[in-house]
Amino acid sequence: MLRFLAFAIALFSAGTAFAQTAGVPPEELNNTRRLAGDSINVCFDVTSLGRPFDEDVARAIGDALFLEVNVIDGFGGFPLNGDGFMDELTLAMNNTCDVFMGVSVSANSPFSEAFALTRPYASIPFVFVASDPAYQSLGDIPKDRPLGTAMASMGEMNYITWAQQQPDGQSWVRYPYADPDKMATRVLDGTIAGMIVWQPAFSRVLAERSDADALRIIDPSPLPEAFVRVGALVSSRNGFLRSQMDQAIDALVADGTIAALLEKYGYEGKAGE
Amino acid sequence: MKLKLLPVLLAAGTAFATVSAPAFAQNVIADYEPVTAEMLANPPAEEWLMFRGKYNNQGYSELDMINKDTVGDLELAWAWPMAEAGIQETAPLVHDGIMFLQTNNNIVEAINAETGDLIWQYRHAVAEIPASWSYQANQARRQKNSIALYEDKVILTTVDAKIVVLNAADGKVAWEKQVLDYNKGYSYTVGPLIADGKIISAISGCSIAGTAGGCYIMAHDVETGDELWRFNTIDDPDNPAQQESWGGVPPENRWGGTPWTTGAYDPETNTTFWGVGMPGPYAQLIRGSGDGSVLYTNSTLAIDVDTGKLKWYYQHLPRDNWDLDSPFERMLVDQEIDGVMHKMLVTVPGKNGIAFALDRDTGKYLWSKETIVQNVVDKIDEDGTVHINEDLVFNALGEEFLVCSSVSGGKLWQAGAYSPLTQAYFVPLTEACNTVAPTQTEFTAGNAVGSVKFGPRVLPEGITDAGLMQALDINPTQGESKWQYRYRPSPTSSVLATAGGLVFGGDASREIKAWDQETGEVVWSQRLNAPIGGYPMTYAINGEQYLVVPTGYSNSASSISSAFPEIPLPTGSGNSIFVFKLPSDAKTASAN
Repeated sequence: MLRFLAFAIALFSAGTAFAQTAGVPPEELNNTRRLAGDSINVCFDVTSLGRPFDEDVARAIGDALFLEVNVIDGFGGFPLNGDGFMDELTLAMNNTCDVFMGVSVSANSPFSEAFALTRPYASIPFVFVASDPAYQSLGDIPKDRPLGTAMASMGEMNYITWAQQQPDGQSWVRYPYADPDKMATRVLDGTIAGMIVWQPAFSRVLAERSDADALRIIDPSPLPEAFVRVGALVSSRNGFLRSQMDQAIDALVADGTIAALLEKYGYEGKAGE
Repeated sequence: MKLKLLPVLLAAGTAFATVSAPAFAQNVIADYEPVTAEMLANPPAEEWLMFRGKYNNQGYSELDMINKDTVGDLELAWAWPMAEAGIQETAPLVHDGIMFLQTNNNIVEAINAETGDLIWQYRHAVAEIPASWSYQANQARRQKNSIALYEDKVILTTVDAKIVVLNAADGKVAWEKQVLDYNKGYSYTVGPLIADGKIISAISGCSIAGTAGGCYIMAHDVETGDELWRFNTIDDPDNPAQQESWGGVPPENRWGGTPWTTGAYDPETNTTFWGVGMPGPYAQLIRGSGDGSVLYTNSTLAIDVDTGKLKWYYQHLPRDNWDLDSPFERMLVDQEIDGVMHKMLVTVPGKNGIAFALDRDTGKYLWSKETIVQNVVDKIDEDGTVHINEDLVFNALGEEFLVCSSVSGGKLWQAGAYSPLTQAYFVPLTEACNTVAPTQTEFTAGNAVGSVKFGPRVLPEGITDAGLMQALDINPTQGESKWQYRYRPSPTSSVLATAGGLVFGGDASREIKAWDQETGEVVWSQRLNAPIGGYPMTYAINGEQYLVVPTGYSNSASSISSAFPEIPLPTGSGNSIFVFKLPSDAKTASAN
């Protein structure tokens, strides 16, 4: 028990603190070692925008490592500020998951040293989407028209950073949206002139909405491109698994498996970094 | 005391209990005395009928048998383990010889308050929480909902956004109502207030994607459950200034504004007073609100209980960029000075620890007083306008500032208490700072979660004691320090003041203390099994005064204590209550 407790306490003291949650009661952490045999428990955020793609990648990794992949829906549905996320991640990774797929690999990773990130298996861009045929690029949109951005995303960060560098009046007003579908609705009804959205989220909107034909990706200039590098999380205690995962990802990038999966789901971007 | 039990029935109280839990002794209380509206307005000194004892939220008891002379004689009368591990902030109630004890996962137990015997237990049967509701699961484990008593009912608000009304006699469900859609993320995490024939409650989960634009204080008919009104804390179409304060951000792109603590009520004006929490996202750079004050976040709201309309508001921290929310308890204090009755609202509403007094009929600012080290408020004008420290407003993503107090410091959920005996306000506080940086962190790729990164909590420079019990000498013109008691561990429980001249409060080192209200001298302390928690309270039965001390795991006990390796937490939650009383031959006085 001591080992797990020490792990948990380190997380509490070193990790991100949030407003209304702060820690997992020790009784919630299982004091058992999983006897996995030739299988691994692979968990997913059920609300993840790239969930099916991530599952296919996990199965490909399992095949490469001769491991059976047990697919487990991990968790999801957190507030915008991430309140509770680290608690639930701690529980999931301690009690259930060997691997957690679909996490963002970035310099601002919020994960504590209790977890290790694999190398990215795909880099997928944010896109700029508009419906007005008069607009061929973001730069065509008058500065007095508001834009929508995907809340707390790399695409939004890219826009804020660019806008902060512009003279007064030379950037667009921005409304943050947490729901890509609602943001698409607001593009279609003209509330906002366009939206910065992760491309898998836009693919889902196109697939699920009959009125989405009017939406199209246009040139995001003058914004620089923004990507999310997508990888997986393993426990820092399991350095062997992380090493094996990295080798498998390298192989799947090299042999075109990841690229084929990107194409299967209509995702832009590229395999690996 | 007249505890009346019908013959024992071994009955399963809920479907959940029948399939997975051992059967508990489900007794029935005969001739339970209903809690009338008159009792709620003027509670008997021997009882503790609501969250903070009375509508005024003062956390004060008129009992004085346990006092400076007798407190050293306290003995353990009985103890009881709560029904669940996990995080709790319990606020036990006592009426008619029965203690109603709630803990997380919406479990309520009725206990013989004299003997500590279980009478009945209610376990709320929540639908199996799917993986996509992780936040609700998290909230259920740490739930702090207080409960309410009215007539022959026990009223609770649940993690799955229901109002549930139990028969006080047997703990069975009389009726329940689904108030809001938990699939959108709504969840109750504070308990209800019963006033004017209404159940007044406030919803949480207002920072979840699906709840955009709507965070509510609501009233439901206490008999039927019909919704009577709701007030949206982040979208008030009746107030153009409120709309403008979001810098053009439409309501559907706003989050936050959660009222995190049960409100107070003034029967004379039929007004309820609630505190509101931080905006979402935390940083204005990300929420897009520019230099707008983002009303009504971090404000006190005075709401007409009859209509649900806003009477006035006062914003304690505009333009919050650091999650220093200000939703905590509002207390109503009356003081007669030179023949004039002054009706105040007094509060340390938020994590920056600044105390405020307002005229509660008008919302007019009276005074403020800094307590702990803080650097987010530069000054407060004579008219009460609060000016933030512009140097701490982020101009770029990734920019990092050291902010005091911290997200887990200052004034937290632990409620202070006011003593009419000494006209003093006793506030449990924690000295702390942390770095804050707005960053787009994206836990799950592409998902809308995570917008600010907080550094580890540290003590302010030159301070080695985290805990501060601050006594403020208050009147309508000032709140000045009466005394301070500084100690290494952080306070982890709310505070109880009594007519015995004592203030009770506990800390992360598992110690419950009694301070002399006048001097701040510690006149009694007792180390227990776990960090002191919840809301200590007191009651009397058969002429004997009892002191209730909750212990266990809370968000404060975990996040705060981890900063002090010399104060280790016990391995288990230890969620319990300890009930003390004086030796039977030591009764020295009766209730006032």
